[in-house]
Amino acid sequence: MTELLRLTGLEVHFPVRGSVLDALRRRPRRVVRAVDGIDLAIERGEVLALVGESGSGKTTTGRVIVKLTSQTTGSIVFDGQDVSRLWGTRRLRDYRRRVQCIFQDPYETLDPKQTIHDFVGEPLEVNHVGSGAVERETMIMGSLEAAGLRPAADFAFRYPHELSGGQRQRAVIAGALVLNPQLVVADEPVSMLDVSIRTELLRLMLDLRRERDLTYLFITHDLSLAWVIADRIAVMYLGKIMELGPAEQIISAPRHPYTAALVSVAPSPEPPAAGERAKRTILVGETPDAAAIPPGCRFHTRCPLVFDRCRTDEPPLIDVGAGQSAACWLAEPGPGTAR
Amino acid sequence: MSEPMGEPAIEPALTPPLTPGQIRGRRQWPLPKQADPAAPLLQVRNLQTYFKLGSGWVKAVDDVSFGLTDGEALGLVGESGCGKTTTALSLVRLLPTNGRIRGGSVELFGIDLVAKSDLALQRYRWREISIIFQGAMNALNPVIQVRRQIAEPIRYRLGQSEAASQKRAEELLDLVGIPSRRLGAYPHELSGGMRQRAMIAMALACDPAIVIGDEPTTALDAMVQAQILQLLEQLRRELGLSLILITHDLSVVAETCDRVLVMYAGRVAEEGPVARVFTEPRHPYTRKLLGAFPNIRSDRRTLETIPGEPPNLLNPPPGCRFAPRCPQVMPVCTEVVPPEAVFADGVRVACHLYETPVHETPA
Repeated sequence: MTELLRLTGLEVHFPVRGSVLDALRRRPRRVVRAVDGIDLAIERGEVLALVGESGSGKTTTGRVIVKLTSQTTGSIVFDGQDVSRLWGTRRLRDYRRRVQCIFQDPYETLDPKQTIHDFVGEPLEVNHVGSGAVERETMIMGSLEAAGLRPAADFAFRYPHELSGGQRQRAVIAGALVLNPQLVVADEPVSMLDVSIRTELLRLMLDLRRERDLTYLFITHDLSLAWVIADRIAVMYLGKIMELGPAEQIISAPRHPYTAALVSVAPSPEPPAAGERAKRTILVGETPDAAAIPPGCRFHTRCPLVFDRCRTDEPPLIDVGAGQSAACWLAEPGPGTAR
Repeated sequence: MSEPMGEPAIEPALTPPLTPGQIRGRRQWPLPKQADPAAPLLQVRNLQTYFKLGSGWVKAVDDVSFGLTDGEALGLVGESGCGKTTTALSLVRLLPTNGRIRGGSVELFGIDLVAKSDLALQRYRWREISIIFQGAMNALNPVIQVRRQIAEPIRYRLGQSEAASQKRAEELLDLVGIPSRRLGAYPHELSGGMRQRAMIAMALACDPAIVIGDEPTTALDAMVQAQILQLLEQLRRELGLSLILITHDLSVVAETCDRVLVMYAGRVAEEGPVARVFTEPRHPYTRKLLGAFPNIRSDRRTLETIPGEPPNLLNPPPGCRFAPRCPQVMPVCTEVVPPEAVFADGVRVACHLYETPVHETPA
């Protein structure tokens, strides 16, 4: 597999609007460091899951990749070309054709007054794709069918309110597919759906990957969902990647204490056996403010295994072998887990 | 908005749960006058709640029966629109204006709440049955300090003095783990987890007999969800709460409940002890539902799908409502409503696969 996208040293900072009083006292402007130095490569054809709690910066990372938010520093290289600074150029339009996104709430993506035929057709018009009405029509119908809205003629002229929740999300997927993208950034695409419908959509996404050579960045807060769909998982905390590796290994042998805690509390539909509950690691307190990130390892304030070095030095991502790496001073190359 | 960090703790051992006798003994307020002390805590029989739409009645809850004993936690699970929330809200008749209870009874300590007038029912809302709502941001008043909001039901429902109700509110907030310096906070100043804790404190304010949790952890992060579930578990053990937990998340039920009631399209599909239903589901719907759920403790396998959609409850299909989607459908399923088969291990299943009314437990 070759590399499709690479993020290097990506940082996104949002200034906080201070009060008049702060300005008068000449206090420095506070900055929320939503994404605080990410290095990540996405291989062609893989499903990479970006997992994190709210405020971890996972959505911001996705928005930077689809160019809805601009990065503060760092570079984005897509298919060998630097696309970090494309604002207002023709190449940006070209890039956006190749990188599409799917969001959580289909109600917000779809226009209630637009049929899904027009919704799916809009990107073609905007990008001047397709030589005529007939060709566009074939592309729209093909895209609807590919997203599982079959027969397309039955669905094409419906409005969003005439579709079920699962069908609406399929329409959104059809809209993302119509331009034949290479990378799809899916931000919590199934979180609003019931379990039974959720599975169908996950299957659809995996089928489409095979049929259309897609690569996915799958953003979710749900570790078990990531485990089901992803080849690799990246766990984020407060704007940084804490651990990265093959999905199976992240779940079965987490090397970062944060990942280990997340795995231990991940709910499962099996009633716990007697005594099993004592094995859960429930972290105390809440994720710190992203405008005041703790010094040293940013997880040290909540880490059950914290020691002196963690409070002063920030650990880099340490390669522990077999494609897995963890940002923890306890992660040494070799077998064994951080717990 | 971060909280001070205490010692990062591995979960402590839990205190043993109270016995049913101890739970009734702990009541701070007398039972309602008509209560029968020997009656079970809650018994719902053949409840039917319909919603009036222009074109007819939506049979949201149709012939649902279940019971709840002291100190028990019952999980109501099912997909959106299966009637789980409507069932719970029917208990205290907190229904939208087009909702009506068309039949059945809800007996709390042997008193039928369905027969009560709206005014008489107020005595039971919050004092006997309270609700933790899903969106704490919407359920809390944004312009009133949380301590005052929690003191309000104590003052007005229980007729306590201003000072006493404020004091009790402080105790409750301490009980749910909100630090004392946050007492004067407004809802927007609290994080999602803290707001949900405040909602739990409010639900406990009048020392109710039953607490209903309507998706209490759905909007929360995994770690915060674990914290809130741990709190509920601890409160159950310390206070002997009787809990009805409404959720679409089977794993929450697996971790917190004693019994589970699986609903489909307004009817009970299967009900029984969590340990039995989850390890050996008997209704095809329960099996499918469990199979559709990712479980990181077992093998990574392809998840099940349930083709099709739930029926329109304006005109539900005759016979079993799951029949159109059921992989094991038989001719009888589309014609006859399945009777409930009761198994020796306490599970009851509404499915034609189990013909005789009483079954031996399958091996």
